[in-house]
Amino acid sequence: MLSDIAFYGALETGLIYGLVAFGIYLSFRVLDFPDLTVDGSFPLGAAVAAVLLVEGWNPWLATGMAALAGMAAGAVTALLNVKLNILNLLASILTMIALYSINLRIMGRPNIALLTEDTVLTPWYGIGLKFHQVSVALFVIVVVVALVLLWRFMKSEIGLAMRATGANPRMARAQGIATGAMIVLGVALSNGLVGVAGALFAQSQGAADVTMGVGVIVIGLASLIGGEAVVTPSTVLRALIACVVGAIMYRLAIAFALNADFLGLKSQDLNLITAVLVTLAIVLPGVRTKIANKLTRKQA
Amino acid sequence: MISATDLKLTFGKGTPLENPALRGMSLTVNQGEFVTVIGSNGAGKSTFLNALAGEVMVDSGQIIVDNQDVTRLPTHKRAARVARVFQDPLAGTCENLSIEENLSLAIKRGQTRFLTSAVKKRYLETFRSSLSSLKLGLENRLGDKMGLLSGGQRQAVSLLMASLTPSSILLLDEHTAALDPKTAAFVLDLTTQIIEEQKLTALMVTHSMKQALEVGSRTVMLHQGQVVFDIAGKDREGLEVKDLLGLFEKQRGLQVDDDSLLLG
Repeated sequence: MLSDIAFYGALETGLIYGLVAFGIYLSFRVLDFPDLTVDGSFPLGAAVAAVLLVEGWNPWLATGMAALAGMAAGAVTALLNVKLNILNLLASILTMIALYSINLRIMGRPNIALLTEDTVLTPWYGIGLKFHQVSVALFVIVVVVALVLLWRFMKSEIGLAMRATGANPRMARAQGIATGAMIVLGVALSNGLVGVAGALFAQSQGAADVTMGVGVIVIGLASLIGGEAVVTPSTVLRALIACVVGAIMYRLAIAFALNADFLGLKSQDLNLITAVLVTLAIVLPGVRTKIANKLTRKQA
Repeated sequence: MISATDLKLTFGKGTPLENPALRGMSLTVNQGEFVTVIGSNGAGKSTFLNALAGEVMVDSGQIIVDNQDVTRLPTHKRAARVARVFQDPLAGTCENLSIEENLSLAIKRGQTRFLTSAVKKRYLETFRSSLSSLKLGLENRLGDKMGLLSGGQRQAVSLLMASLTPSSILLLDEHTAALDPKTAAFVLDLTTQIIEEQKLTALMVTHSMKQALEVGSRTVMLHQGQVVFDIAGKDREGLEVKDLLGLFEKQRGLQVDDDSLLLG
C-alpha cells in the first residue's frame, strides 16, 4: 500500500494539478479553445517565481508575478488566434515552443534550485504539522480560494458572456458581446492559473526546470475528463469540483500503480500509465451508458 | 429609423465562384414600421439581414441606424440598436445555459458587462411575467437548461430575449421556417403581438408570400440583390398571393427584358 509520504505527495501534486485543470476547463470547456500553451506557461510560472525568489522577493509576490507572466502567454496565444486568424490549436503550439526559449532566457540556465530560498511554504513549517502535510494544507486553501473565485466569476455578467462566447459565438455577438476580447481574457486567465500552478510546484519541489512542462496538458486533460466521469458537471460549481477531484484521483491512481509491487511498474512507465488512464477516462463513461441502456432494455 | 443605401456585396470576389449577393440594395425603414421581406432563393434576403446586423461587411454603400453610420461597425457594437432572431431555433440561445441565464444575457444586450452577479434577483419578476405571456409554463422552469426545450419553445424565448431591451430595429430571419406548421403559427402570432405591444420597428424575412402579406404594414420583394418592389398602405390592402405572384412575374419579365436588351 501507499506510504504516508507517497499519499500526501500525491495529494500535494493533485491539488497543484487541480489549478491546471481549472485552467484547462476554462479553455477547453468554457471557451471551446484547445489550448496547448499550458505546456509552456507551467514552466514559465516556475521560472519567473524561481528567479524572483533567488532575487529575494516575497514568495507570494513572486507567485503573483508568475500568474501575470502566465496570463501574458495566454493572451499572446489568444491574440494570434483572434487578431491574426491562426487556428487556435496551432497558435497555442507556436506560443508553447516560443516559451521554451523564453523560459531558458528567464532562468539563464536549464534549472534553478530553490532548496535554500524562502518559499510560500516556509512560514507554515512552524505550526506543528508534519513536514509532508504542510504543503497539502496550504494548497487546499489555495485551491478552495481559486475555486470560489472562479465560480463567482463564472456567475458574473462577464463570466456568463464568456460562457456564451464558447457555447454559441454567433448568439454572443448578437447580444453585444465582444467575443474576441472574451477569448483573450479567458485564455489569459486560464494560463494565469497554470502559471500559479507552476510557481507553487517549483516551490514545493524545491526547483524549477525548463522541461517540467512536458505533458502538463495531458495530465490536466486527464484530470478534467476523469473528474467529469465521476462528478457529473451539470453546473459550473460541479464542473470545478470535478477538476480538483479528477486531479487528485489521477495522482493517487499513479501513486498506487507505481507502488503496487505485483504490477511490476517503475517510474519510467509513468507516461504509459498516463496514456492508459486518459484513454480509460474517455472511454469508460460511454461504456457505462451502454451498460445502463442494456439493463433498462432488459427490464422493459 | 434604419436606412441602407446602395449596398453592394460580392462573395468570393476574383474567384470562379464569384457571387454578387447585393447589387445596390437600398431600403429605409421608418420608426414603428413592420416590413416583411420576400424573395426567391439567392435573392439576397439573408445577406441583407446579415449586412444590417454586421455579420458580413458590405463592399460599398452605407447603413445608418438612428442617424449613426454603422457601416463599418462589427456585430457586437451594433447590438445595442439591432436585435435579432435567427432561423435556426438552436442559434438564438445557449443550450448549456439555463433559461434565466439566457434571459440575463439578453437583458444586457449592447450594454457594458461587469463582475456583478449575472442573474439578478430584480430581473426574475420581469422574466417570470414575460415568460408567462407565452403560456408555455416556462415561468416555473427558470433554472432549466435551454437544451431541454423544444425548437418552438426556444424560438419563443429567442423572441422574448430580442424584445427584453429596446432596439431601433428587430431583425427576424425566417424565424418560423424551421418549425412545424402549428408551432410556426404560434411563433408568428407571438411575433405580431410583441411587435404591436411594444411598437417595435421590425424587418421580417420570410419564404411564404402568404405570411408576408398577412402580417406587417409593408412588403418588400428582393430579386438578384435589389429591391424590385415595395408596397405599403392602400396598395397593399386586400392584396393576395396571386396578385403578388403576378407582380413578381411582371418584375422578373422586365428583368429578363432588360437583360436581353443589354445583351442585344
